[in-house]
Amino acid sequence: MSSETPNYIVRFFIGKGGVGKTTTAAAYALKMAMKGFRTYIISLDPAHNLGDVLNTELGDEPKKVYDNLWAIEVDYEDMIKKHLKQLSDKIKDIYGYLKIFNLDKYVDVLRHSPGIEEQASLEKIIEIIRSYGEKNKADVIVFDTPPTGLTLRIMALPTISLIWIDKLMELRLAILERRRAITKITGEEFEIEIGGKKLRVPVDVAEDPIYKELINLKSEYSWINNVLTDPTKTIVALIINPEMLPILEAYRAYQFLTKIGIHTEYIILNKVLIVRSVPEELKPKINEQNKAIEEARRLFENKTFAEIPYLPKEPRGIDDLKDIITYIENIS
Amino acid sequence: MIKKSLLAKISDVLKGVFAGKSVEYISAELRELENIFALVLLGSFIGLPSPPSTISLRLLPYMGRELIVMTRVSERIDDMLGEMAGLFDVS
Repeated sequence: MSSETPNYIVRFFIGKGGVGKTTTAAAYALKMAMKGFRTYIISLDPAHNLGDVLNTELGDEPKKVYDNLWAIEVDYEDMIKKHLKQLSDKIKDIYGYLKIFNLDKYVDVLRHSPGIEEQASLEKIIEIIRSYGEKNKADVIVFDTPPTGLTLRIMALPTISLIWIDKLMELRLAILERRRAITKITGEEFEIEIGGKKLRVPVDVAEDPIYKELINLKSEYSWINNVLTDPTKTIVALIINPEMLPILEAYRAYQFLTKIGIHTEYIILNKVLIVRSVPEELKPKINEQNKAIEEARRLFENKTFAEIPYLPKEPRGIDDLKDIITYIENIS
Repeated sequence: MIKKSLLAKISDVLKGVFAGKSVEYISAELRELENIFALVLLGSFIGLPSPPSTISLRLLPYMGRELIVMTRVSERIDDMLGEMAGLFDVS
């Protein structure tokens, strides 16, 4: 897979908090690395424990943890700071005079804006796919995600942005059409007076900076949207425990992802109790578990399933993860 | 010859009246579209839901005219119904 043209795949491991996303994602990443694919695993969860699972300290820069395997724990603070810096640089470009009064520091309050985490996370996903996937440094990019709610909002962002952009473009065209009509009837240029100066107002699509910027935005969001909705590139693995609540939540996530065009293929049942001779006290639990598994298989009828048993020891480090690989052989 | 020139003059006057009226209609429509464009993009200032911040910020530098229109409309918002009534000759 190390050819000249980028030929990478992206995998998102999504699930309710505590179902074992990080462990499963790490085992999958290790499996792909052991097969010879240059693999990057990235934890996007603000409450990181990828470093704990791999038994090593991780940071914002890729750290080699095994042959062909690099791991990153995204520094959320830094990520939001970088995102804010981009925004505040733009604001400062426009309102450069604020520097005179040292008022630019107040831009910091933007960090508390609703939605800033989702926007910053999406920027990070884009940055990682561009830096490793598109530059042909990675064959496999694995994202260990925050709990379902936040992840879905991040993944919906390109679709939502594209809806906004399309509507704004439509509105812009209506504006330009009317401006053109007025210039045609009056035979005069369209002007506006700002601060006593008369300025020409664009009437054509080709000269309107707003329409041009909307086209740029559309192409940027379309790019990431195309990567996320291309099933030959991006696939979601849903991690569930054999209990009703995580299964129902996963099913809702699956429906949402399908609606925004993101393909879910793998359902990983983690922490399945496998007991040869079931003690009386455990029988109701095992019955519940069997019912939950049956329901999961019914809800996700045509999907690829993997089952990881409840392990006697919490997996920590590469050697423990190797033991899990056998259960996820069919996840590719 | 005199007749033709008179007809031409009448036609010019009528054209002028209709053109003036249609410019008036289109300008009012244009002003509202520009106002909506600014409101949709920057409505968060007054508590309206707005697009992801990146989109608003990227377009902000070019929004001079729309911001002026939005401000003017908001200054005269109480009088807008009267203006509309005037435009469509409703008394």
